[in-house]
Amino acid sequence: MTDFVMEARHVYKAYGIKNAKKAEKTGAGVDVKHVVEAVKDVSLQIRKGDIKLIFGPSGSGKSTFLRCLAMLEIPDKGEIYLGNECLTKPGVDLNKARARIGFVFQHIYLFRHLTALGNVELALRQVLKLPKEEARKRALDALSEVKVTDCASKYPAQMSGGQAQRIGIARALARNPDIILLDEPTSALDPELTGEVIDTLRDLAKEGTTMLIVSHEMPFAREVAEEMIFYDEGRVVETGPPSQFFNAPNTDRAKQFMTRIINRTTRE
Amino acid sequence: MFGWLLNPVYVTWIIEGLLLTIEITLFGVALGLGLGTLLAIGDIYGNKPLKAAIAVYVEFFRGSPLFVQLFLAVYTVPALLNVRIDHYVLAFLVFGLNSAGYQKGYIKGAMETILGDQMQAGLSTGMSKLQTLRHVILPQAYRIVIPSWTNEFCSLTKSTAVVSYGGLSDLIAAGISIKGITYQVLPVWLVVGIIYFVWITCFSKVMDIIYERKKIPGIELLMQ
Repeated sequence: MTDFVMEARHVYKAYGIKNAKKAEKTGAGVDVKHVVEAVKDVSLQIRKGDIKLIFGPSGSGKSTFLRCLAMLEIPDKGEIYLGNECLTKPGVDLNKARARIGFVFQHIYLFRHLTALGNVELALRQVLKLPKEEARKRALDALSEVKVTDCASKYPAQMSGGQAQRIGIARALARNPDIILLDEPTSALDPELTGEVIDTLRDLAKEGTTMLIVSHEMPFAREVAEEMIFYDEGRVVETGPPSQFFNAPNTDRAKQFMTRIINRTTRE
Repeated sequence: MFGWLLNPVYVTWIIEGLLLTIEITLFGVALGLGLGTLLAIGDIYGNKPLKAAIAVYVEFFRGSPLFVQLFLAVYTVPALLNVRIDHYVLAFLVFGLNSAGYQKGYIKGAMETILGDQMQAGLSTGMSKLQTLRHVILPQAYRIVIPSWTNEFCSLTKSTAVVSYGGLSDLIAAGISIKGITYQVLPVWLVVGIIYFVWITCFSKVMDIIYERKKIPGIELLMQ
């Protein structure tokens, strides 16, 4: 019995590994260059109500790790637990598991042919099998929670990026998932729109929503995160409370990264 | 020259011929859509043997003349199996199977432009692959396919001419009969040609309207 909402144990994920294995079998020799190790042995525990923030240079595998947690990518090695259920065991109903995980994408990925309301309603109807009225009510509740009820009948292409991303958050939220994973929810938005999404996340944080966020919004991190995780080259380099990173990171790599990111923020 | 147009017998032949042409086309396009969708899904998600089988199917129906396909279906296959099947049914089937070969390509192409992000989004909400296909991917793919579908309809309408070789009386067969009796070659083909033209143009216009109406609002902005 664990008291973790979600746990990752020694997760490993590489791309191009199949080709490498094939090459090994045929004796052609492994072409190491074509194997990209995005996640190398990452472990992480999240308790109910935790807000953790992963940050680090782009291309370091943060997104891949997050997708592994949601089993949108299947890890090559290691285990993912959702509560007491091991998702990486064969024979697990991944659809059922994903229904308990909210996921917010960097590039939003709303269903383009559905209105905002339709986007939120779809899984309530198809996955939770709620009757029409109830699904509508819950979808509207979720929209009002992220303050975009005025967009309910708009299509994704008719909204601003900030509105669309808040719909994306409402879509993840509406099912009352055990945890919400957010993959750089603001990085595809221009600075003006970033604020409204951050405000939404701040509200969620106040309500005690369990969240794992990949983000470089440092002021926000400082305000809401209980723990920050510095991630580089497929590994967790340093973990600690925001104060540790903002005052004196333990590792040189984190120190270097924080200096750069803080300089950038102040220059803006 | 056009006096034969006043003869109710000839007019009946023409109307019956036109109706058969329309029936075969609509049935063919509809069966082609259903089967083409299954072939497209099979080609994207299937294993190697399934993909190979689909490739053989598609190349057979795209690569051989419709006339030959119809001949095989109406005369050769029933003879080999020693069964009697109505020529109507066989002609309808051939047109559906043939159209599926083409439509598989249109649908697969449309699906592939949508699959990447929309499948991820669907799975992330807890829907299965099948649910995402049904509620997210196909509704978008079909909207994209409408113009290709209209083309398929135009081309299939005119291809129905070959059914006269299977002993069925479509619009062309009606023309041949009337021409044989009245010897008004040019006037008969002129009238038949105009009927095709009017029917196809009207149908295409309707499809264009449906395409515009069903278009996802603001989608042009996203595609830029």
